[in-house]
Amino acid sequence: MLELLGQQIVPIYNYRIVLQYADEFSRGIGNTLSAAAASLVLSIAFGFLLALIRLSGRSWLTYPAAAYTHSIRATPLLLQIYIVYFGLPLLIPATGRWSEVVLGVIALTLHTTPYMAEIIRSGIVSVPRGQREGAIAVGMTPIQQYRHIILPQAFTNTLPPLLGQSAILVKDTSLLSLITVFDLVSAGMLLNSERIRPNEGFLSVAVIYLAIYCVMLMLSRVAEHYLAGTSRKARTA
Amino acid sequence: MKRYLRLLTAALGLAAMVVGQSVAHAADTIMDEILQRGELRVGVQTQGAPVSFVNKDGERAGLAIDIARMMADDLGVKLVLQDYDWKGLIPALLAGKFDLIAADMTPTAERTAALLFSRPFFYQETVAFTTTDKPYTTWQDLNVAGLNIGAVQGGTYVTAVKEFLPETNVKEFASGPTVAQALSAGRIDGALSDLGNVRGYAQEYDNLKLLDGVITREPLAFATRKENVHLKFWMDNYVELISANHKLDRLLDYWWNTTAWQADHK
Amino acid sequence: MSQHHIDVFFSVMPFLLQGFAETLKLSLVGVLWGSVLGALLGIIRGQQIAFFSPLIGAYIHILRGTPFLVQLYIAYFVLPNTGLAWLMWDSQTAAFASLGIYTSSYVTEIVSAAIRAIPRGQWEASFAVGFTRMQSLRHVILPQSVGLIMPSLGGVYVNLIKATSIVSVVGIAELTRQGEISILRFPADILYIYLLVALLYFAFCFPVLMTVDWLERRTKVGAKYGTAVLSGRLEAAE
Repeated sequence: MLELLGQQIVPIYNYRIVLQYADEFSRGIGNTLSAAAASLVLSIAFGFLLALIRLSGRSWLTYPAAAYTHSIRATPLLLQIYIVYFGLPLLIPATGRWSEVVLGVIALTLHTTPYMAEIIRSGIVSVPRGQREGAIAVGMTPIQQYRHIILPQAFTNTLPPLLGQSAILVKDTSLLSLITVFDLVSAGMLLNSERIRPNEGFLSVAVIYLAIYCVMLMLSRVAEHYLAGTSRKARTA
Repeated sequence: MKRYLRLLTAALGLAAMVVGQSVAHAADTIMDEILQRGELRVGVQTQGAPVSFVNKDGERAGLAIDIARMMADDLGVKLVLQDYDWKGLIPALLAGKFDLIAADMTPTAERTAALLFSRPFFYQETVAFTTTDKPYTTWQDLNVAGLNIGAVQGGTYVTAVKEFLPETNVKEFASGPTVAQALSAGRIDGALSDLGNVRGYAQEYDNLKLLDGVITREPLAFATRKENVHLKFWMDNYVELISANHKLDRLLDYWWNTTAWQADHK
Repeated sequence: MSQHHIDVFFSVMPFLLQGFAETLKLSLVGVLWGSVLGALLGIIRGQQIAFFSPLIGAYIHILRGTPFLVQLYIAYFVLPNTGLAWLMWDSQTAAFASLGIYTSSYVTEIVSAAIRAIPRGQWEASFAVGFTRMQSLRHVILPQSVGLIMPSLGGVYVNLIKATSIVSVVGIAELTRQGEISILRFPADILYIYLLVALLYFAFCFPVLMTVDWLERRTKVGAKYGTAVLSGRLEAAE
């Protein structure tokens, strides 16, 4: 019965060809996810630093931070990737030997950090003033304030947008295929170039990205559901 | 409600007209169509000296351009050129944007399963090249694990890397010149292309050298959609004609076998 | 700033500006199509009509869940492969179509959020005075939504401009592509040329972004919609 159904689909989508390329697709998915994961971790770390800089209010810190943020927001990601890929080895010759995946991760991190910083900053700012004042009143140092009072409460509001930004990051990794990183898109392109079968090449890629997106969406819903019980604020729209 | 009914009928009528048009077109062969419209539409590569490129005067020049021009002149029609990245040539042909591809394209088994190719107008030799600071002398020296070898995306050089240099990683680029540039800048360790192209790159960049040995030999031909049988035979015949009267040899000598074209077009 | 840099600048700028003109053309068509399609879908979705709203929701999820590059490749490679004459798109049409669809996914969300933000009382009042659904939309709901939609549209427009850089991969001679072509002519000045390209994008996008920020600060319609706009913009910020 399944065989019959399979026969029907083959003219439009020859899944047998796709299975022949299973190795390449796995390799592509692996590269996509690892590049995304690496960029995610780094951009959250740097984003946290950037958020603190912006909250510090000291203009010698906030002006460069603002300049950096605005440059990233006002230029295309693809261009940023090209600039890092071509330009970094010219500025720092040692990086010339680094693989394109590493350069790609650097570019993605540079790009995503300001957005993460904004999410973290909003999360921190959303914690009511009274909480911080209370913490100061009981004599906590700033580090203790953040660690015990502010960050745990900021977490509730930060997690959903953070997951949203991670989904965007996974999609952004598709641009790394243009600096010869063998990611999921490259795998589909390879299938198309060798077999001249665009459906099998690109529809498979789209479906796999959708699957990853669905997983992240479910994670996001679960997280929101879990956090709703501990948060006073209503969920964002 | 009446308004919507009228809109619907209008839309249906428009759709019927569109379908009717496309049905009417299918009756002519592409040869008839070319002669009727007085235009031969040819797809060429955007950046692929000496086959197809933009010369110093901003005009399109190259081996494929000259052959296409000859074809159009002999047919008595106007030549319309459209340029695409290598990987975009076949999709554009299949989408009906032009009549034939005039490029240094190999009629591989997979490609001929989807398209019709003319008989070969040339046989190319795939060679490897690298930078002058590397110790390699023959192409076999490149077959070392961990090396990155560049090739044009969607082309047979990629297949050649996988087949003949299986230890290496293949890096695909959008066009030949970008491969040469990446090699010159040190982003890749070696690259594959054909002899004619490599001679051109070696002149452009001062740190590239050709490696000994011919890796493989491939025919090059023009392509069209699989229903254009008459056009395919016309192209076969044309290649036969310009081979017999040596016009093809003269073009090949100018563009491919020597670097004489560089004096006029670089 | 050496003589060489100045020479390269004058040699390259005409082409970059040509590319920029192409970028503007692409983004204008994208904005037009995207806004029309997005507004239509957004109005339907905002009213939470039984069958269509979830369908449009699914459409948006599919668009949000796949990278723009993949959408572009599908428009460029897969659709012509269906054999239908009207889908035999060349690179220009494929670029326009995918940019329009990409934009529409954001505009739909913004418009539907704006419509849902209008208090239910407005609908009830307009039905009470005898307006049909269409009339309510036209005279009561939409005019009030416009103020909520406008600030976000600027952000969408900037994202569109940034997305046009991606259509360079199907050969369209917009700004990024002209940059690529230029660096093949001057391989020693890769960084310099790409920085010039970045400057052009920045010169255009930065004022728009600043205007959008200012508009949002001015029309802050309460925390609920404010955070919706923020997360909407973060989602749109690619």
